[in-house]
Amino acid sequence: MEPEVVEAELVLPSYFSFKRVQMYEKYPKGQARGRHWKHLKQIIQAENYQNYPPDEPNYVNIESPPSMHPCKRICDITGFEAPYYDPRTNLRYANTDVFKIVRSLPNDYVQRYLSLRNAQVVLK
Amino acid sequence: MPFISKIDRQSDYNLFPSSTPIVIDNGASYFRIGWAGESEPRVVFRNIVQRPRHKVTGETITIVGDHDPALFKYFDCSRSGPRSAFENNVVSQFEIMEYVLDFGFDRLGANGSKIDHPVLITECVCNPVQSRRNMAELLFETYGVPSIAFGVDAAFSYKYNEQQGVCAKDGLALCPGFITTHVIPFVDGEPVYKGCCRTNVGGFHVTDYLKQLLSLKYPYHFARFTWEKVEDLKMEHCYIAPDYASEARLFQKGAKEAEEKTRCWQLPWVPPPTEQPPSEEEIARKAAIRERQGQRLREMAEAKRSSKINELENELQGLDFLLHQLDQVEESDIPSFLSETGYVSRQEIESAHNKVTQSLRKAKGEPKNEQVETEKADLSTDEKYSLVNIPDDMLTPEQLNEKKKQLAIKSMSEGRQRLKQKRYEEELERERKQQLEEEKRLENPELYLEQLHARYKDLSERVDQQKRLKTNGGNTNGNNLSGSVGRGERLNAAQRERMRLLTTAAFDRGKGEDTFGARDEDWQLYKLMSKDNNDDDDGPDEDEAELARVSSRLVDLDPTFIPKVEAGTSQPAEVPRSRPLTKEDFQIFLGLERSRCPEILFNPNWIGVDQAGLDEMTGVSIRRLGYKDEGFEERLTSSILMTGGSSLFPGMVERLESGIRMLRPCGSTIKITRALNPIMDAWRGAAKYASDSQFRTQTFSRMDYYEKGEDWLRHYQLKYTL
Repeated sequence: MEPEVVEAELVLPSYFSFKRVQMYEKYPKGQARGRHWKHLKQIIQAENYQNYPPDEPNYVNIESPPSMHPCKRICDITGFEAPYYDPRTNLRYANTDVFKIVRSLPNDYVQRYLSLRNAQVVLK
Repeated sequence: MPFISKIDRQSDYNLFPSSTPIVIDNGASYFRIGWAGESEPRVVFRNIVQRPRHKVTGETITIVGDHDPALFKYFDCSRSGPRSAFENNVVSQFEIMEYVLDFGFDRLGANGSKIDHPVLITECVCNPVQSRRNMAELLFETYGVPSIAFGVDAAFSYKYNEQQGVCAKDGLALCPGFITTHVIPFVDGEPVYKGCCRTNVGGFHVTDYLKQLLSLKYPYHFARFTWEKVEDLKMEHCYIAPDYASEARLFQKGAKEAEEKTRCWQLPWVPPPTEQPPSEEEIARKAAIRERQGQRLREMAEAKRSSKINELENELQGLDFLLHQLDQVEESDIPSFLSETGYVSRQEIESAHNKVTQSLRKAKGEPKNEQVETEKADLSTDEKYSLVNIPDDMLTPEQLNEKKKQLAIKSMSEGRQRLKQKRYEEELERERKQQLEEEKRLENPELYLEQLHARYKDLSERVDQQKRLKTNGGNTNGNNLSGSVGRGERLNAAQRERMRLLTTAAFDRGKGEDTFGARDEDWQLYKLMSKDNNDDDDGPDEDEAELARVSSRLVDLDPTFIPKVEAGTSQPAEVPRSRPLTKEDFQIFLGLERSRCPEILFNPNWIGVDQAGLDEMTGVSIRRLGYKDEGFEERLTSSILMTGGSSLFPGMVERLESGIRMLRPCGSTIKITRALNPIMDAWRGAAKYASDSQFRTQTFSRMDYYEKGEDWLRHYQLKYTL
């Protein structure tokens, strides 16, 4: 390692005196990267929230409900108010100038703009 | 700059008694660790882990937190980006969490055999019990922590501000954080989780939105928009507009205020070296150099020529002298005399003499005087070809040979003559044609040009088609040039035909009796099959020649005409030269984006999250509490505290107030305050809380945990008022 890297103590050492179980003991090298930790979706499923009274707060039921306000639509490209929508690309646009841009966009850009609001085409 | 990492290793770890709790604010963006009772955390770093490869040794190493980016040049980070232990504010990846804790404790100065201090660590509201259990197990079993307490960061912040007199016992804590936004109502100084609500939008999404928008707007500068840079841009320039719609209209109209609000980021740009027109002296100097070089070349050529002339003259003199001597030598001595000179006969010497004289004349640059020569040749034809007209049987064998030679020479020279004649005639023809066309052109230039264009188009199409036929649409991957055809290659028409013939010949056996060869045409088959068959281009194509002629004429006559670049040739067509890049090409403008990006906290549906925004969440929260008491609700709204990193946007409080006012009955009091320090107060509140003498009662030890079990852990909740 380069001296400046060593000096900055950039690299996390593998041994710490204050640990009872070291990292290399817990996740031995060569084995398939230790344990697979559950993702949030799996954690929530394992919590079995449906077995508990619904008025008891839990991670799932404290989520905000969908908004009751009328949805403000903005132009995907400029951010202006968007009264129009292009049925070919599914992009919302503000005026004719933006429409010209919309129609000249290559498809991957269209998809990237759509993915900003999670509306892109997903192939499964 | 609100976020600054502190990662120096602390040296006073051993000075603290084992009863002093360690306080950890385990936020999704930053990890803060320090001692209870102090006002500042000791170590602060970004809550991320990177596992790059060392470029030289190739070993994978672990790097926690943010470091000087200059040091990362030794590592290859392309394989793995920064990883976080968090998912929607819940710790789920405990391997990463362990690295982070290792680093945190190490930098706090821990060096004993275990962490012998109670730990207060923050978690999100209603943390799933599995995450809580894993965290507890990690702290107990790996680090040997004696006791743990879990608390909510926003609640600690609210309590801290309550103690500082910023907000009341009843109120709302609004916490737009890094990944999620929470609203927590407080009743009588305690958070009521029943009234909580969470929207999964936070500062992370704002930065990401800005990053995406900028890289879509400026695809050429894509590499400039690193996460850190965009985060900086967000914190420096983003603001929340009091009313987004009117702000957008302002920008749409291109009003003056909008111009003032637009920020420009000039990327480093070095103007290209301007090419100065060469000065007079420069031109003169270059011309002089060229002149000198030309002079030298001319001199060299002159010297060469003169030496050649000299040489030839010497040779001529020698030959003259030889001839002269030959005249004096007696007839009988001629052969012996000649054998010394190396010539066989007098004739030979004469012809050599002739040759030398001619080349001398040529070298001296005298006109060749062909006409004279041909006449002379005509005159001398009879003697030159003296033997041609004499019948064979009247000649000796030598003379017969001579006659053959003469015949050959005669036919050759005649052929040359004919060719010359033909060329001359062609020249005449062409001139005549040109004249004709010129006349036509003068008669009606436009019509002529039109016709020429039409002809050009027609010809070029025909030539193209011929080429296509030959190369089968240019799909031969350039392999056609080598003549051989690989296995996967497309064949052109001729090659296909050849293949067909070969295969039919191969499979034709045994079908009836073999009649091959009965007719003469059968043998043509071999000719077709032979490989050489396909290079059938009979010299330059007539069409192509005509096309070249027409296009050159068009270039002469029509300044707007651009001859088509020959497609299908291996060289790619020349790219049009782009204009030179200017300073303006390296400017990033932040206009409406400045307010558009943080606006997603109020309109999460803009990034596809179908949940209520920040202002609406307060209404949801109050509704969920369900007190139905006007006075109480008014007490809540008159003590709203903003905490968390994303509450730092300018204009946040004003916007929120107008948003909440729309939800509340007319005339109700709304008071929104920002926390003293929206980022640090959670840790400070927790440190203050942990320093209380009653803190012990809120912690649980390893024994408690194993005795009471998971169900107890599920309902474990700190009392924030001690």
